[in-house]
Amino acid sequence: MRLLYNILWKDHSRAHLLGAFLGTLSGFVLLLAGIQFYTDFKSVITENRDLLDPEYIVINKKVDIGQTLGLTRSGFTQEEIEEIQDQPFADQVSAFISNQFPVSGYTENERFPDFYTELFFEAIPDEYIDVKSEDWQWDPEKGTIPVIIPQDYLNLYNFGFAPSQGLPQIPKGVISMINFKLRLQGEGRGNYDDYQGRIVGFSNRVNSILVPLDFLEWANQKYGYFKKSDPSQLILVSKDPTDPNIIRFLEEKGYDTIREKLKSSRMNIILKFVISFLVIVAAIIIGLAFLVFLLSLQLMISRSSEKIRRLNKLGFHYREISRPYILLLILLMAGITGLSLFFTSLLAGQLHHNAAAWSLDISQSLHGIIYGTALGLVLLISVANVAAILISTKKLCK
Amino acid sequence: MLEQDTSGSEVWEAEMLILEQGKFYVVEAPSGKGKTSLLSVIYGIRTDFQGGVYLDDRSLGSFSLKEWSQIRKKQLSFIFQGLELFDDLTALDNIFLKNRITGYHSSDRIMEMASVLGIEPFLNRKAGILSFGQQQRVAIIRALCQPFNFLLADECFSHMDRSNSLTAFHLIREECEARDAGLILTSLNETELPSTDTRLKL
Repeated sequence: MRLLYNILWKDHSRAHLLGAFLGTLSGFVLLLAGIQFYTDFKSVITENRDLLDPEYIVINKKVDIGQTLGLTRSGFTQEEIEEIQDQPFADQVSAFISNQFPVSGYTENERFPDFYTELFFEAIPDEYIDVKSEDWQWDPEKGTIPVIIPQDYLNLYNFGFAPSQGLPQIPKGVISMINFKLRLQGEGRGNYDDYQGRIVGFSNRVNSILVPLDFLEWANQKYGYFKKSDPSQLILVSKDPTDPNIIRFLEEKGYDTIREKLKSSRMNIILKFVISFLVIVAAIIIGLAFLVFLLSLQLMISRSSEKIRRLNKLGFHYREISRPYILLLILLMAGITGLSLFFTSLLAGQLHHNAAAWSLDISQSLHGIIYGTALGLVLLISVANVAAILISTKKLCK
Repeated sequence: MLEQDTSGSEVWEAEMLILEQGKFYVVEAPSGKGKTSLLSVIYGIRTDFQGGVYLDDRSLGSFSLKEWSQIRKKQLSFIFQGLELFDDLTALDNIFLKNRITGYHSSDRIMEMASVLGIEPFLNRKAGILSFGQQQRVAIIRALCQPFNFLLADECFSHMDRSNSLTAFHLIREECEARDAGLILTSLNETELPSTDTRLKL
């Protein structure tokens, strides 16, 4: 009824209502944008990994001065390995085993400069290795030892060592054709055997010189005389490398990882922190704005209390008298919902545009959860306000 | 019994007082004897009394807010001494405020009543700038824009001259008779009014 609105809307304070409107609107935009971007970034972080292909993380203890002086040990004890195994993020843990005898490698090739070096071997079960090759097997009959070296070693040679020494760069395919000898030295003089060595692949995952596990076990049996030491590296399989607990656990224990993969875990932590900060700020703003809303409407009602009593005397029910206030509330809330969704989608569009420059795929449209959150909050605020309006108008009626 | 000095009052001290629909009552008393209080009690806006007040067979205290709003739209109408007009609305809008929820009179009938009472020229002025006598006539027309069994008129002629008072009284009586309704009228000076059924002394 128009007259009722004329009477009751007259007593509003434009400044209060505008303040409440803008406050709630900015809180809404902040909150919705926060949720939108969190959802986006989370999917960007997690989409980099294939769900079917879990992540392999190689961990070792941080080298400190204690280890240099021989006071602390750099190996993982059995208890430590079990502790890692018990972590919820660890699906599988495997220790590297290493050679317990001296190894050296040398070349005998006229097309290639003579080369001699002392070496080490490590081995892990095949399923942890990212190189699949038919030649990756140890056949005692043939006597050829397949070796996998880190991709980084080849890069170091090709892009660092070779150009500075005037040596030719070597493509991957050629490397595997280079023949070199591996000498396994048992205990005692003259107790050694030479084997043919062959590089069969380059690993991006494991930063070590790998040989097949069954070979190393056999060779340790045959030549080994060093005391068996604790493994200095572990390989950890995790289905969710973005799990922030991985980073937390490693840092707490003083363990280190070579893999860059855990960046996403670290990013996840930072992102969660930033977003939760944003959400808390937004929640505080919305809370305060909600209070201003409530108080503005209550102030409006109390300013009109004489008129409300008068209307009541003329036979108006308090529900009829509440209608103009409820309509005002609904209009403001609808405005807040519409505008906040509009601004959030503007921000999302802008972010999509910027992110495209970093070739990040960020959605342009709002996620379903955004609409849900907006609607839920609006309902919550509206219901609380409507209840307050009804209560305070009823109080004025007889 | 009202919570103030009411000794010697025909109404407040009475064992029982029955007001019947269709009859005209004039309540006489000097100021401060509780004329407005009596009407306010009947209309349900004052509850600080002892004893019982019944509308038909129901105690006034038993009505809910919803029932009160229905009673005030359909059974009881009140011409308030303080008028209770909205100063910011025009005289006509003040009348329509009531008529729109009851839909009782046509616009034509409202204009006719305004013209009888001589306030037609002022209908589009804001109620707040009219004289008190003019406002009283606006309040009278507003009170007549609904069905009722009783009309409670609280000193509604106080700021009108004799001829205007009589015209207004005749209009009120005519409207009451059309509804077969009772009228309870308070007045400072009873001799102003012709033909009433019962006079009550407070």
